[in-house]
Amino acid sequence: MVSELPWDSRTGTLKRDLAQGMMDPASRRALEAALQIKETQPAYICAITMGPAMAREILHQAMALGADEGVLLSDRRMAGADTFLTSHILARFIQKECQGEYLVMCGTQTSDSETAQVGPQLSEELNIPAITYAGHVEIKDRVVEVHRHVDEFFEILNMDLPGLVTIDLSAYKPRYLALEGVEKAFENPDIRHIDARQLGLDADFNALKDSPTRIMDVYSPTAQKENRVLKGAVKKVVDQLFDDYGKVISSAMGKDLKTHEHDEA
Amino acid sequence: MDFNPCMKHQLIRKTVREFAENEIKPHVSLLDKESRFPWEIVERMKPLNFFGLQVPKEYGGAGLDTISYAITIEELSRVSAAMGLCVTVHNSVGIFPILQFGTDEQKKRFVPAMARGDRIGAFCLTEANAGSDAGGVETHAVETQDAFVLNGTKIFVTNGGVCGTVLVFAVSETRDKKKQASVFIVEKECPGFCVGEIEDLCGMRANPVSSLFFEDCRVPKTNVLGQLGQGMKIGLTALDTGRIGIAAQALGIAQAAFESSVSYARERQQFNTPLSKFQTIQNYLAEMATKIDASRLLLYRAAAFKDSRRPFSGEASMAKLHCSATAKDVTDLAVQIHGGYGYSKEYDVERYFRDAKVTQIYEGTSEVQKMVIARTILSQPS
Repeated sequence: MVSELPWDSRTGTLKRDLAQGMMDPASRRALEAALQIKETQPAYICAITMGPAMAREILHQAMALGADEGVLLSDRRMAGADTFLTSHILARFIQKECQGEYLVMCGTQTSDSETAQVGPQLSEELNIPAITYAGHVEIKDRVVEVHRHVDEFFEILNMDLPGLVTIDLSAYKPRYLALEGVEKAFENPDIRHIDARQLGLDADFNALKDSPTRIMDVYSPTAQKENRVLKGAVKKVVDQLFDDYGKVISSAMGKDLKTHEHDEA
Repeated sequence: MDFNPCMKHQLIRKTVREFAENEIKPHVSLLDKESRFPWEIVERMKPLNFFGLQVPKEYGGAGLDTISYAITIEELSRVSAAMGLCVTVHNSVGIFPILQFGTDEQKKRFVPAMARGDRIGAFCLTEANAGSDAGGVETHAVETQDAFVLNGTKIFVTNGGVCGTVLVFAVSETRDKKKQASVFIVEKECPGFCVGEIEDLCGMRANPVSSLFFEDCRVPKTNVLGQLGQGMKIGLTALDTGRIGIAAQALGIAQAAFESSVSYARERQQFNTPLSKFQTIQNYLAEMATKIDASRLLLYRAAAFKDSRRPFSGEASMAKLHCSATAKDVTDLAVQIHGGYGYSKEYDVERYFRDAKVTQIYEGTSEVQKMVIARTILSQPS
């Protein structure tokens, strides 16, 4: 939960040094989906993250799990980027590196903001189709088939490549990291560091200043629950119950309850 | 000098902690209560290389350095000392001597199955009349045309009840009738090999510590580890390595007891005040933290010495001596902080307290560690 992470309420950003190199749970699921695709067909997995130097650890973790390459987008001028600029920066790199048919796989929402905006925004920046909340992803004859469960519907969608999917938080339970993988990931760490200049960002680019979003505060939604004990004669209590909660009960049941009907009966 | 753990070691810690917290922790209390060895957890540990921590990749292991090894054992033991014990004994005194002293043929024959976790390793030296005094071993091996025939009884064998491949310390006679100690690799299928009853011990109850019987147990001549008569050298080298593992295990127990104590001291109120506000409790926590930190530094130094191929016998003994004393002291204070609840099986500190004591006894008692340390000091030129 975002409010459980070390958050600096003064600057409205995550205190990343304290959030010590955790791979986002959502990203782990996206990586798991990529690994499972790679197990069935030839694939090259490039893990990309944006953050301070210590975010390298996440890339080592990705490579230990089976990613072929790790790329760290890191620059002081990119620090403090909101979702809009994050998508923009990621798109810059992907446009530079990827041509032809590729699939971008993202977690649905990161634990540091839970906006679920970066995936869809990134697809807009790249001008490629996107499917969010994917529960299962397969690539069949250069077409991406996605199963997902949204709004009480189970859907199967097809999408051309290049494309983008975000992996649902309930799908693709991540595997544990084998210790052999950790050792291997550090033996020959193929991690590229890309800065703002290499991405061709303007000399006066400053993500903190240029981000259109301003975070005022971060807090957990508090449940508005109360316990009430209604006392008195049964009829009085039932009347009061329907007066006070009739609408809530109606909407929960999806049926219009005619309150006080029992009076007339 | 940099006291910060490197990224690899941090990742090892997180990796092992995540597995231990999710897959072992929910079952620890019941395993202890039922004295049951969790084969189902072993199955989940196998593909993650827990049984071949420092085994080179050519034999199917993870090829970790010794600090990573120590961190792995520490993190496993922080959740389950009994599983930490199984893994450290298997890796250190079970596999390591074969890697260090075995012939290429022996390494190829025995190590891969052990590194996969298909055969759990054990090392048996202790007997009814021999423990700290390894010279008192009575299990003997008689050479025949094609084999050695072993007879004797080993006691308190960690992993005894679940082992597949055992290193047995036994004496034989040379042609000129002199006694010599050797180590024999015995597989559980060897005729004449038999597992005794599981010991009813104070702690580490999920580890099936047992006696092992060798009754005319025929061991092929190709199963003599290293050379005949090398037993003492192999034993001492194995124990040096084993001590790093037991030190790490003790540290993990202490760390767990410390963490429980800090959170309990914050939650528990007496006289309308959290325990953590009382100076006495603060002093306890400060003592615990300091001992744990000192232990950890001693342990990592011994591990780093081993990795850089420097002599590490004295350092390993210092680490083992201090880590095990820390485990005993810290778990004692943890029970004290928890009061009556600490004495109840409802709380984990009760188990930590029982598990901690034996770390001062096995893999060389604290008294033996002091002997080793003194010998290291006095063997240096004045």
